[in-house]
Amino acid sequence: MKTHLEEHEITTAVAGLELEAAAEEHLGSCVSCRQQVSATRAVIDARLMDLVAEAPDWDRQRQEIMLQLPSRATVRSFRRRPWARPLLAIAAVLVVAIGLGVLWAPTPEADPGVVSDLPVEQILAEVDAMLADDSIPGLELIDQEMDDAIFENGAS
Amino acid sequence: MVVLRAKAMDPSRTDLSQVDDALVLRAQNGDHDAFGELVNRHQRRVWMVCRQYVGLGEADAAAQDSLVKAFTRIGDFDRRAAFSTWLTRIAINTCLDELRRRRREAVVDEEPDGNDELNLLDRVPDDDAGPESRIMQKQAVAFLASHERTLPPRQREIFRLRFYAEMELEEIATALDVHVGTVKTQLHRAVHKLRQELGAYR
Repeated sequence: MKTHLEEHEITTAVAGLELEAAAEEHLGSCVSCRQQVSATRAVIDARLMDLVAEAPDWDRQRQEIMLQLPSRATVRSFRRRPWARPLLAIAAVLVVAIGLGVLWAPTPEADPGVVSDLPVEQILAEVDAMLADDSIPGLELIDQEMDDAIFENGAS
Repeated sequence: MVVLRAKAMDPSRTDLSQVDDALVLRAQNGDHDAFGELVNRHQRRVWMVCRQYVGLGEADAAAQDSLVKAFTRIGDFDRRAAFSTWLTRIAINTCLDELRRRRREAVVDEEPDGNDELNLLDRVPDDDAGPESRIMQKQAVAFLASHERTLPPRQREIFRLRFYAEMELEEIATALDVHVGTVKTQLHRAVHKLRQELGAYR
């Protein structure tokens, strides 16, 4: 059977933190220890009551707040959505593909009115091939774990 | 060995948050009545938080300012934290802005130093001891009120948020952006010190 609670345990109980099971059990059965805890809590609670007594009239405060509200809350801001990342990735690949296509494609001899006759699938296939080729400077495949870590940090 | 784990103050907190969530959704769509209900549910805590930071004279204005800000920014609230926690953070920031404004306007002799937020907390107004009382507990309450001031700023802040704003430990941690273990440690130290100071009154 545990003897009376020590000062740090009384403090723990006053603070509302969790005691070890033995201390908790003792507190439940010991009038003296319980009185020590409740006496301090009573002072704190009385202080709270003093503060509450200073509080403004809640109805009046609420009315004043409602009068200050603008006609409409701010429009919902953009928030990260689960489908945003794949879309951004696809968009990035397309931008790279178009850029590389402009740089590396032979000068077209076709009708100047035609911007490009390469289908999107062909562009993407070429980009995939280039991305798979580690020898192209700046396009080395990023380590998957590092990629995941970057995403996790960015998402936090 | 004392295990510092939090005891829940209010087991119905989850239900409260669910009601808040529904009201928040309506308020985000511009429903003033829903926001009015949120004000009803949280204005006491907001005022109590402001009371601890800016003092009695400015608490009402700071609380109103905080709640109006909350409405204008409610579109940014993503409900990852409890509405009450998000609101409390707005109230704390509003009060710290007010304290910064006061400091800029005040003529002070002290040399400024690095730890801005904690120094601001040093400037939280002292609480008046209240009316003279004839009973022991009244004296103890006045004694407590005065000795809270002697606590280190972070301990005082956490003590007051816990007991006067009646916040959960996790909420305090989120609102102050500190680890919950820090909250527990600082709270324990604050209570220990105040119990020592209270001495004969306890």
